[in-house]
Amino acid sequence: MKTRWYTLALTVVVATPVFGQRPIAVTGVQSLSFGTLLPGVPTVVSRTDAAKSGQFMIQGPHGTQGQLTFTLPSVLTGPGGATLALTFGGSDGGYSQSQNIGSQIGFDPRQAFVVTFSQQGSGSVFLGGTARPAPTQRAGAYTATITLNLATFP
Amino acid sequence: MYTASKAALATLVLALLAAGSVRAQGVNGSISATATVQSPITVTGVQNLAFGNVFPGVAKTVAYSDATNAGRFDVTGQGSAPVTYSLALPTNLTSSGNNLPIGSWTGYLNTSNSTSGGSAITPSATPASATLSAGGALFVFVGATVTPPSNLPAGSYTGTVTLTVSY
Repeated sequence: MKTRWYTLALTVVVATPVFGQRPIAVTGVQSLSFGTLLPGVPTVVSRTDAAKSGQFMIQGPHGTQGQLTFTLPSVLTGPGGATLALTFGGSDGGYSQSQNIGSQIGFDPRQAFVVTFSQQGSGSVFLGGTARPAPTQRAGAYTATITLNLATFP
Repeated sequence: MYTASKAALATLVLALLAAGSVRAQGVNGSISATATVQSPITVTGVQNLAFGNVFPGVAKTVAYSDATNAGRFDVTGQGSAPVTYSLALPTNLTSSGNNLPIGSWTGYLNTSNSTSGGSAITPSATPASATLSAGGALFVFVGATVTPPSNLPAGSYTGTVTLTVSY
């Protein structure tokens, strides 16, 4: 009987954080859009560009930390499998706890980045980058997928 | 007692598994990166503006519609794209330091290789705007008048007309 009470107590202590946490989520909000490019002319999109920057919304338990990790493509793929070089710089990532594009903390999207969730348990991640079409770049539409992973630690 | 210990062990394992799943929480979200590349613009001088033989004191005009002697540029680029074009025009043709005045420039713009169905332009009034055809073509024809002075030395006179086109 004494052993059973111990077992019950242990179960409650360990399980409590599971029921107390809000679910974590990553939602793609806006594509990173370079618009119309000319062959041989690099085009930069800033993470502060409200219309063109890539944007994600993240959610997690308030007051806790999460780790962001991007999977970044090195090329966009276009007609007939043609590729267009895509690069990211050390400050092309941005995080806003208040979800305000005007109040970001810059970070290197090529590296993992630790964020702290606000009391609302949400935040916004912004992404800029540079597209570098070759002088002989084939005309057409190019696209790639950018994935953001969020891992949380209790 | 034995049964109670087994239950305790099972519960502990379940609890640890639950705790382990908390540590492993991770989710993904994706967006696209997109770009549209336009065709580069090419400008080719296809036919020279040729006045042939001229005589001192006798002006000569080549019309933009002169299929043999008018100047012609062919432009290619992104289909249906708006462009800006400009013509750099000489005021003289030259030969060994002698000048043969050239002016009264005329021009014609068309999306097909024809001097009908398009629109007349004033080359000296560029930059101006145009739109490439659905297939990405534009044709520019130019004509002008040379006015040889009566004392113009004999020779071969040349000048350069440059067409610049940009998106």
